[in-house]
Amino acid sequence: MEKVCVLGAGSTKYGKLEDSISDITVQASVDAIENAGIEPKEIQAGYISNVFGVADKQVHLGPVVMSNLGISECPSLSIESACGSGSVSFREAFANVAAGFYDAVLVTGTEKVTHTGTDWTTTYFSYCSDFFYEGQAGASFPGLFASMARAYLHEFDATEEDLASVAVKNHENGFLNPKAHFRKKITIDDVMNSAVVASPLKLYDCCPFSDGASSVILCNEKFAKEHSKDYVKVIGSGRGGSPAALQGREHLTTIPSTKIAAEAAFKMAGITSKNVDFAEVHDCFTVAEVVDTEDLGFFEKGTGATAARNGETKLNGSISINPSGGLKSKGHPIGATGVGQIVEVFEQLTGQSGERTVNDAKIGLTQNFGATGASCAVHIFQSV
Amino acid sequence: MQFISFKVCKLSAKPEFIEAAKAGNVLARKCTKCDELHLATVYFCSKCGSKEFEDSILKGTGKVVTYTIMTVPPAGFEDLAPYAWVVMELGDYDLRISGFLANIQKPEDLPIGAAVKVIDFDDRGIVLEKL
Repeated sequence: MEKVCVLGAGSTKYGKLEDSISDITVQASVDAIENAGIEPKEIQAGYISNVFGVADKQVHLGPVVMSNLGISECPSLSIESACGSGSVSFREAFANVAAGFYDAVLVTGTEKVTHTGTDWTTTYFSYCSDFFYEGQAGASFPGLFASMARAYLHEFDATEEDLASVAVKNHENGFLNPKAHFRKKITIDDVMNSAVVASPLKLYDCCPFSDGASSVILCNEKFAKEHSKDYVKVIGSGRGGSPAALQGREHLTTIPSTKIAAEAAFKMAGITSKNVDFAEVHDCFTVAEVVDTEDLGFFEKGTGATAARNGETKLNGSISINPSGGLKSKGHPIGATGVGQIVEVFEQLTGQSGERTVNDAKIGLTQNFGATGASCAVHIFQSV
Repeated sequence: MQFISFKVCKLSAKPEFIEAAKAGNVLARKCTKCDELHLATVYFCSKCGSKEFEDSILKGTGKVVTYTIMTVPPAGFEDLAPYAWVVMELGDYDLRISGFLANIQKPEDLPIGAAVKVIDFDDRGIVLEKL
């Protein structure tokens, strides 16, 4: 198996964007190509992750991106795995480079939905659930995660304020991120006083609907060494699955796919959670980050909410969680998010993260899931 | 548990599942190899991999495991909010089902553990009611 490296990364701002989905996808790709210091013609395949291209009248994005990069002959594909599309796309690219099929590939995640409005997005996102049992019965994604939040608060010694502290922390980090959707600090009172979306979750417990695109160049180590000193090694990659519907899970305070993916990624990397300096995790809702940090082994089950409240997950706390601002503050363009997490890790490990830098970081982890964690991918990266 | 047939189920049982829900019941499949109980919409046993099942009709009563009260609903539910979406455990079976429950305003209306039952299946999916 070839050793696989991230050679460059780029991203549009996340938020409400005016440009079309094809334009933002190309912009992020160009940024990654330039950041990597390569020519488009060196790219041998393109992996595009996207869920709702149909909302901006463009599916089959790969050939459009490749054509605009001047490499229309380059093969490409689109991958959809709900909010986990980006990391799944990265994983497929990783597997192909590791297997030796390609020396260098482009991985770009993208989404453009804000022009459709909250009603459209709430409804269409619910199609990512096990629709027969969940979306069809009126459950939105805030509703599904609210059900997990209620189970968590019932089972463990945690409060809604503890969950709110996750949002406060992520807004503090996002305030330092020039590409974040929200660059505004908030307080626990702001979260507690925001409108209830699906009890017990309030508006500020929820990540926003965002537009945005993120891109990385993935290559084998020989290619990386020939092109640049600033690259990051991919040392672990794992994927996992969970019952698609919440009703099929024995526990509602853990996400099985995260544990499966993390175990595989840690095994490949030959490390444990204790060796990780920081992590970008899937905080689509405050409760999700708490559950993630427990499932990844950073905290014992049932203690993640208290750890967050105590500041352990802050920037340069005992383990920095979501230094980018996470989905909550950086934003959540669903097809881009998994790639965006990897952009953040690349920037952190190559000295490009400015004020939000995690001190002395050598190993970063990303965890990105689809729907309520029905699918998940975990990746581990190491600086050179 | 009442067994209504011993046939091997090969095609989607959703129509039968829906009919059962309309009658307040839950159509389940019990694995003939390992006894694991599933909702009737599965094709293979998640425990042992077998596809040999016995259909069984379960009474659609049980207790609330968790729920949310939806105040920002998806399309089609605008006039129904606030309502609850509930995960319930069926009677004494190790089997859960989820559905729509109308007219829930606040958490005090539906404590975890509250008794609920399946009453219907319509364009709101599985419909539940407080007992």
